[in-house]
Amino acid sequence: MKKIFKYILVLSIFIMFNSSCKDFLEQEPDNILTNENVFKDWNMVQSVLANYYGRVSWGQHLTDDFQYIYLDEACNSSGGPDNTQNFGSAHWRVYDYGLIRNINQFLAGVRSEAASGINTAQRNQVEGEARFLRAWTYFNMAKGLGGMPIVGDEVFSYTAGMDIAPLQIPRSTEAEIYDYIIKECTEIFELMPKGKTTNSARANAWTALALKARAAIYAGSLAKYNNLMNEPIRLPGGEVGIPANKAQEYYNIALTTSQKIIAESGYGLYTRKADKGVNFYEATSVKENNNEVMWARDYKYPGNAHQFTTRNIPRSVREDMDGTIITPILNLVEAFEFINDRNGALTTQTSTGEYIYYNNARDIFANKDPRLYGTVIYPGSIFKGKEISFQAGRKFLQNGVWMTETATIGTMDAQGNVITDENGPTTTNDMNVNKTGFCIRKFVDETVGAGTRGRGSEMWFVNFRYAEILLIAAEAAMELGREEAVGYINQIRTRAGIQPLSSVTLEDIIQERRVEFAFENHRYWDLKRWRKAHLIWNGIANDPQATHYALFPYKVNQPGHEAHGKWVFDKQKAHMSVHPRFFQLQNYYNFLEQDWVNRNPKLVKNPFQS
Amino acid sequence: MKYLSNISLIFFALLMMIGCGKDNYEPPKSVLTGKVVYNNQSIGVRGTNSTVRLNLWQRGHELYTAIPVYVTQDGTFSALLFDGDYSLVTQSGNGPWATPQDTVKITVKGDTYVEYPVTPFYTISNENITLSGNTLTATFNVSQVTGTQALERAILVINKTAFVDENANIQRVDRMNPGTGQITMTMTITEANLKNVLLNARVGVKIQGREAIYTPVKNIK
Repeated sequence: MKKIFKYILVLSIFIMFNSSCKDFLEQEPDNILTNENVFKDWNMVQSVLANYYGRVSWGQHLTDDFQYIYLDEACNSSGGPDNTQNFGSAHWRVYDYGLIRNINQFLAGVRSEAASGINTAQRNQVEGEARFLRAWTYFNMAKGLGGMPIVGDEVFSYTAGMDIAPLQIPRSTEAEIYDYIIKECTEIFELMPKGKTTNSARANAWTALALKARAAIYAGSLAKYNNLMNEPIRLPGGEVGIPANKAQEYYNIALTTSQKIIAESGYGLYTRKADKGVNFYEATSVKENNNEVMWARDYKYPGNAHQFTTRNIPRSVREDMDGTIITPILNLVEAFEFINDRNGALTTQTSTGEYIYYNNARDIFANKDPRLYGTVIYPGSIFKGKEISFQAGRKFLQNGVWMTETATIGTMDAQGNVITDENGPTTTNDMNVNKTGFCIRKFVDETVGAGTRGRGSEMWFVNFRYAEILLIAAEAAMELGREEAVGYINQIRTRAGIQPLSSVTLEDIIQERRVEFAFENHRYWDLKRWRKAHLIWNGIANDPQATHYALFPYKVNQPGHEAHGKWVFDKQKAHMSVHPRFFQLQNYYNFLEQDWVNRNPKLVKNPFQS
Repeated sequence: MKYLSNISLIFFALLMMIGCGKDNYEPPKSVLTGKVVYNNQSIGVRGTNSTVRLNLWQRGHELYTAIPVYVTQDGTFSALLFDGDYSLVTQSGNGPWATPQDTVKITVKGDTYVEYPVTPFYTISNENITLSGNTLTATFNVSQVTGTQALERAILVINKTAFVDENANIQRVDRMNPGTGQITMTMTITEANLKNVLLNARVGVKIQGREAIYTPVKNIK
């Protein structure tokens, strides 16, 4: 018996030696890819690029909807009140030299011998895309921090003992970083194909020009409006602060670039639906046949979907246990004009303080800018084919004074009449219960299943669309004193369905951009570049612009009274946003971390930082 | 075997007991208190929102950051520090005073008191706040000391707590572009606000692009 074991042992050891020696050290690893592996294969090249596309969403975007509560568009509506008041010194700050280095590695790769397998057109395309994403990264960095080090195409690496001085690059001036972005975009335009990409998820030549136009208009307004301040925000080296005499040049670039896109790109305003409100929703939130969106962060199920719809859909049409986490505030709703009246304030009371009685809740929004319908779900509007009603409670008369009766959401009285609607709004601290009387419509998906945790939504987030190009043209033309400004802004207003203007001022541009691009990550950066943020978000309690407001609809329950069954509205402070927004001068530029300065002593800190 | 495990248990228990207290720092325990002054008068500022600050630097390290020291509404500030040498400086563009001001060098050894002299853009003097019935009347003199900044607004605020400023208030009156010289402001306090057991009032002038400067809090009820 023992002998047999011995034989088996010897035999197995022999077999082991025999088989294992062969090729053991020459095996190709299947989880480490070399440059040759990647760049010889067109599909691999594209998947590396896809990784970069997934890393360039900053500020407000769909996978981080809580960012919407910081401005004057929406407030938190789930759970207890939010105490936000100040803006942090790192608010929406981008400092991603890791990504820039990765992109430079990619550029080195596609330009190397290894990539000889892909043809020139393909190489130009991916090179253009990579450089576009790099320019986009610099742009996002510049709008928060000002001028930052420009590292060019070089891939820096560090080995122990080397001289680190060449790695420590000083900050560029604010003008230089915008010049660099503009120059890059001009070159990228020549490299890239001009055709539309699937769902506009990949950049094309026109996207590069759109970024150029946006960078130019930002730089132009920074040059102009910063220098109009009492104490312009500047650093001695120009890392922050663009000289006023450059404004003209930037506005010219913005105007000619946007005019080129308007004339040649083939993009246009979306006008497929007769109903202007539905049309505007589809312009931003429907991918099929969309000729307006120029670049979006696209999502696809399975594997790449998000929960924005699940989290923000009205409760009565929700498909999962979430909903109404972030809800629009009255400030945004009133910012939308009436079709023939530029003052968008809603009338809830007569001049003598009596309630105005509306037959239907939606009547108070009659003749509002149809874009309101496309952006916000307001009381009595339709979503997913159902009417969405909001009812905070009921009003009844007691000794000649209107009193309020409320209940938990979804409660009915003995006769089956609703007291408080399932959609709220309420002033409780409940989870997933509406607190402002509105829900978001823009970017909320009507597709069946999009509101479930299991599936999620494929809704895209729009980074560039044709409407912005028109408004950049209008703004640049206005600043240059050119007459075509009014024509560009009126294209937007006519498509929206409101009265055209006869002249354009900066205030008109501010107003138009606010409502056209609500929830599209523009407002904060716009107010910063016009140096308006500290005036609007002034931190004064009960200031109508800095404080968040809600609109509470009530049904009149007073049988025998002429108003029985009609609707009245209360405007009130949104209890979920306790404090007014307070934007201080130091918030115009993010702070640099001490850690960055420790690593690179050539960096200078931003104004107000010390 | 059991004997052994008992011994090891005791051993671990002992280890735990002596393990603590060995590697901890002493916490900082010297309190630095101070006051921002002009002509030996303290300067009232907005005390909420961490808006007005000074910076405390400790030299002697190659790489260092400032310790923020926030100024409260009566112009005082405090910080809990280790003993050592510090420099107190202004934050550029912050506070209702011209920046930069002279650095004040402080040696903290135990509890320390320091005065930080500044030159404010404006001063408020001869303030007189009186309440009669529901009418609050404030009279005060504003004079410019330095700088080119204009006044944005004069503010009369009341609150039901001891903290009163343009953010922490229950009622306020603003006068835009008030100019200098004598200013009189009145406020009709609402019935609801008048019911509070305690009411404090304060006037301030907001400087364009800068924080406001305030008078001391006055108890009016």
